[in-house]
Amino acid sequence: MDNELYSFALKSTLDEIRNLCPDIRNAFMFREDGEITAADENTPRKTIVKIVDSFDGLMEKAETMGGIDLITVEGSKGGVNVSRMNNHYLVMVTSQNADKNYLNTITHTLVKTVLKLLEKINPAPLNNNPSEPRNEHEILTVKKDEKPTERAEKLAEDSEQPIKPETVRPEPTANQFMVENIGGLLVAADTVRIDNETLLQWQELYEDRKIEEVEIETFEGKSTRCKIKPVKDSKQEGKGVVQIPQKIQRTLEIRKGELVKVKPVVD
Amino acid sequence: MTKKKKETQMVGQVTEPIVLEATMSVNDLKARLEELKNRDGVIGYILRNTTSASIDLKDPAKIIDFAVLSSSAIDASKELSNLFDLGNVNSTVVEGRNVKMLSLTIDENRISIFMEKNVDCEALRNTLCAKGPN
Repeated sequence: MDNELYSFALKSTLDEIRNLCPDIRNAFMFREDGEITAADENTPRKTIVKIVDSFDGLMEKAETMGGIDLITVEGSKGGVNVSRMNNHYLVMVTSQNADKNYLNTITHTLVKTVLKLLEKINPAPLNNNPSEPRNEHEILTVKKDEKPTERAEKLAEDSEQPIKPETVRPEPTANQFMVENIGGLLVAADTVRIDNETLLQWQELYEDRKIEEVEIETFEGKSTRCKIKPVKDSKQEGKGVVQIPQKIQRTLEIRKGELVKVKPVVD
Repeated sequence: MTKKKKETQMVGQVTEPIVLEATMSVNDLKARLEELKNRDGVIGYILRNTTSASIDLKDPAKIIDFAVLSSSAIDASKELSNLFDLGNVNSTVVEGRNVKMLSLTIDENRISIFMEKNVDCEALRNTLCAKGPN
């Protein structure tokens, strides 16, 4: 089961909850690392990104109280409830007269049950692990000039050989980063910078490949490839930021503070 | 006696009505917060307005952490309110593993009360927002 199916299951749960409780105006879920896992159609992606970003700062500050389990905001026209469920946060925006006890009972029961089920079926996507390593034998593709018989022979040869551990390589997965500006006279306009820790993790995953490029994708679906280098400023280490030159930011129509998905290019 | 009191109030309103009202409100809030602080499980409070700030926490080592948290929570709730059209934010409750924080804005005063998780923050809020003298 992949991330898409997980999101689908969670989204369906949120839709059902909204059908049961019309007082819920918006509902979405995101993981502790900021990745959005499910959202209803009412809530624009950009709004969710802004909220996740805002909570990110709050969660950091809340370490002094042992992290955040629950946030309740009550306004004159409605309220917001953010509750932690396993390593997810469920955000619900409700109308002013919503029966909060009823909503909490319904959501906690349903969402927690679905999360437990999903975790039992396959814990990987919920725990944000890279997708399961796939055997290269399975993804062997036929080249244009290769005859079917050659392919069969090759497969037969391959099947006789024991599978070496080196052939098992995870697919590149996208990490989420917050956009930071990068400026200066000597800044290359085609190069983004990411913390060393992430680069090392990628290096460990793809031992025999040198990662020189990444693919950056926005939540609006725009993407581009650019060169990658480690950040120079040690203060930016481990903060989950990607420093992007203005030119690339303009191309992707993003700006400082927004979230983007960054994936190593492993050719 | 009644007449004299009335006169005093009028004089106050004529000379510096805003300052007098604000001072009374802050003093009243402070008194209520002091009372709340003595309740079981209440760790302390932060009271801020445009001119002053009072912080009273049982563990002074956490003053900065809690002050930053309080400010971030109020900012985050304002942003939520703007994004989802929630109107004026009446209160924000942030629950951690061990500690809970109730933040609310009364007039110009931003108040955060820190307490253990088992404390009923609704009761604290009612006491704080109740009309009339404490």
